[in-house]
Amino acid sequence: MKQNAITFLVPIIPEKIHELLDQLKAIKKDSRNGISKELDATAIIHYARWVVIDHGKSWIGDTVKREPKLLFVVDYDGNKNEMLQKLFDNSGMLIDLVYVFCKDYPTLNSITTEDRIAFFNRHIIKDAAVYIGAPGRTVDQIQKEKKLRNYIREYIDSQSWKGVPAQTIHSRIKDQVLSNPDFGFLNEQSVSMPRINYVGMFFLGIVLLALLPLLIIWALIVHFFYERKDENFTRKRSQLSNELLKELEIAEDWQHQNQFSQLVDMKEGNVRLISIKFMFLLSNFLIKFIFNQGKLMGIPTIHFAKWVMFEKNSRVLFFSNFDGSWQQYLGDFIDNSGWGLTGIFSNTKVFPKTNFLITGGAYLEEYFLAWSRNSEVVTNYWYSAYPDLSIKNINNNTRIRVQLMKTLSERRAAKFLKLF
Amino acid sequence: MTLLELDNIQGYLIRGYAHMLYSRFVYLRITDAKATKAWLSNAWKEMTSAKHFHDKSKISSTHLNLSFTHDGLKALGLNEENLDAFSREFRQGMVAPHRSRLLGDMDGSSPENWNWGAPQNEPIHLCLMIFGNDKKFENNLEKDKDVCLNYYRELASEFEINGMKELFFIDGKTQPNNKEHFGFRDGISQPIIEGSGRVGDKDDVIKTGEFLFGYKNEFGVYPDTPLIVKDQGDLNLLSSDAGGSGLKDLGRDGTFMVMRQLDQDVKKFWSFMNENSINPDGTVNVEESLKLGAKFMGRWQNGAPITLFPDKDPGISSLVNDFGYAKFDKDGLKCPFGSHLRRQNPRDNVDDHGKKESLKLSKQHRIIRRARLYGEIYEGSPTNLTPNGEVGLLFVCFNADISRQFEFLQYTWSNLPKNKELYNDPDPIIGAREKLEAGEEQNFTIQDLPVSKTVKNIPRVITVKGGGYFFLPSINVLRYLSTI
Repeated sequence: MKQNAITFLVPIIPEKIHELLDQLKAIKKDSRNGISKELDATAIIHYARWVVIDHGKSWIGDTVKREPKLLFVVDYDGNKNEMLQKLFDNSGMLIDLVYVFCKDYPTLNSITTEDRIAFFNRHIIKDAAVYIGAPGRTVDQIQKEKKLRNYIREYIDSQSWKGVPAQTIHSRIKDQVLSNPDFGFLNEQSVSMPRINYVGMFFLGIVLLALLPLLIIWALIVHFFYERKDENFTRKRSQLSNELLKELEIAEDWQHQNQFSQLVDMKEGNVRLISIKFMFLLSNFLIKFIFNQGKLMGIPTIHFAKWVMFEKNSRVLFFSNFDGSWQQYLGDFIDNSGWGLTGIFSNTKVFPKTNFLITGGAYLEEYFLAWSRNSEVVTNYWYSAYPDLSIKNINNNTRIRVQLMKTLSERRAAKFLKLF
Repeated sequence: MTLLELDNIQGYLIRGYAHMLYSRFVYLRITDAKATKAWLSNAWKEMTSAKHFHDKSKISSTHLNLSFTHDGLKALGLNEENLDAFSREFRQGMVAPHRSRLLGDMDGSSPENWNWGAPQNEPIHLCLMIFGNDKKFENNLEKDKDVCLNYYRELASEFEINGMKELFFIDGKTQPNNKEHFGFRDGISQPIIEGSGRVGDKDDVIKTGEFLFGYKNEFGVYPDTPLIVKDQGDLNLLSSDAGGSGLKDLGRDGTFMVMRQLDQDVKKFWSFMNENSINPDGTVNVEESLKLGAKFMGRWQNGAPITLFPDKDPGISSLVNDFGYAKFDKDGLKCPFGSHLRRQNPRDNVDDHGKKESLKLSKQHRIIRRARLYGEIYEGSPTNLTPNGEVGLLFVCFNADISRQFEFLQYTWSNLPKNKELYNDPDPIIGAREKLEAGEEQNFTIQDLPVSKTVKNIPRVITVKGGGYFFLPSINVLRYLSTI
């Protein structure tokens, strides 16, 4: 089943903003700081978050007067309306408690699931690019494969395997697993790991090569007519607002996963718009063809991430669900993914100084770390279906399952055992 | 590459003073800033610099260095605006709820149980580091102690006059063979600061800006140095910001110093090794226990890396440090992925990156370690595991970016159990937790053929008793601080 991502943007009744913020705080508190559990019952939601934006605080110097809005971001399995149905069946009350403070939400005493679904469908905003760390894996599959791996681990640890050939161990494990009715699903449904699409990469390469002269001219135009006039971000981490950092830190590092929400403004003009759209298009191809192995441009810790453009392409949102601590990790990705991050964010306002769209920017480590923190917005509520698993664990678990069900040579069986 | 002005850098950062077996770390509060500044206006000349002496006889028998907490700089009279120019980690200090989560300071290690450095303790302003070495004797702890404490008494007699109140002290010891209380040789692998004049393996040579403000770091940019944003004191004593802001640089040739007092539970450590390597008849299998201990640590007790000596301790004291994991042990069959040293410095094998990329990443998270022992001198082993009283390490490390260096190592590479492809394996020496939530596991995986093994329920063997973030200014800046 396919994983999907969706973003709902709903205007908040301005005078109710504080009540809403308090409500979200209460929900977060009830659900243990950091990671919430209410949505477990849906069994198809991987991640979800509520983010209140435009409620008066802007750390990026946004001077436009804006009405407060509530973002609801969900990563889920399958069909959107089915997801909404399940969400309202299981957490309708919770949803109502939040959206009662939003404009045009149906009146609570007569509300039906259909009303709610219709309301949410009216407020969808389109994703520009979506990354999934374990494409094809449903919540259910991830949980089942976790159980499978733990079961095999227990079995391996229950005895000594000294001198036993790998092939024998593999088949003994397989017999053991298949004799357990909990793992009946293994025979019912066979799965495979996503593959790198070399044909797609080849054609993408050809297209890029053909476009190269145009891309170079484009980069030169951007450089000489736009970048030189850019206002750049030149603050260091020590110069960021204590108030913002304090608010962000409250929700961080409770377990081994974290969230990141970011909101920036687009630079004006079509050249910037075309540049960022091109980068998103390229990202979508690369994600589909090559970044389907659990790494986004070499970053091995992201579960779901996405970019969204809204309000007539004037603003850009970025959301990520990842392992570990963003601020501490971020620097490590500059070498691998600096050009990609720069290519996208150089088109947004007040970014560290770039040259030719993809150089400078993220490579200016100190400014880039400070910029990333400064443009972060508080995530008011966050849900993770499997906070105890890293994306590496999830992909490894699928590999275990796939190899378990095969008949393996001694060499391949030895490789299978390395997965533990 | 520029050569560093060694006589402007406080010596402990570069030299380590390993031959000075006895030291006293004195924690002080400023009671009269004026008097302290008057003292500082002369005392800066007394501070030991990193200057190199070819003629060893010219090295003083006592060494002295000084560092400040953020509270300390405030008490001395640094302006609010200038205080705010320091990094958030230093400003907040080691104790803040979010930081305690990152560092894993919970349960018995929670700040509410600390002896110093926590909100319930009297705030520390300064840490004076005093070292002694009796040059007439070689490797004589008692003689060095006399020299160190004589010097301490000389200094302490004037604390009051100089506007300072001694809060407490911790005496640090060093063993000639540099073994810590679990019995392992410590401090073998140290980064070499580019420009410091020291030589060594090129993979250990790290850009100056990782350890000193005012120079470029491994990313090729200048670290987030504290700048004077509001004029104060004799600014002529300060250099200008190398980053080109035009402001004066309070940080140049200085760095941050992290201190943590780590109690070591020698009995728990070796009992666990003994229990998990026990003979079928229930007796202790010393050889296997030592081997398991070495797997946890990454080196044998005498210092030999298990990557190069996988089967047995070669016996002789070994300082071998020129090796890579990708080259000798890609699958962790010799040195497990989860071992303390492999986690703390993964060398050429970070995650599944290539060698070159790995080395680059490893270099972005190095620290200079200057640990000293406290409590009785004790070398733990499978048969020697009950020291008298509390023993532990006064962990000291230097770095210019506390978040990306010390805190990254403690959180991402120690506490986070997801290193490499691991599932439930925190660092077995400094990352394991005391209490787990229901259903949680805490293991150590030993990669092996035909298949890996799990050592389950590893215990927490250290307890944090105190700690703090300090600023170790350059000697010029110490002088400047006397003028504010």
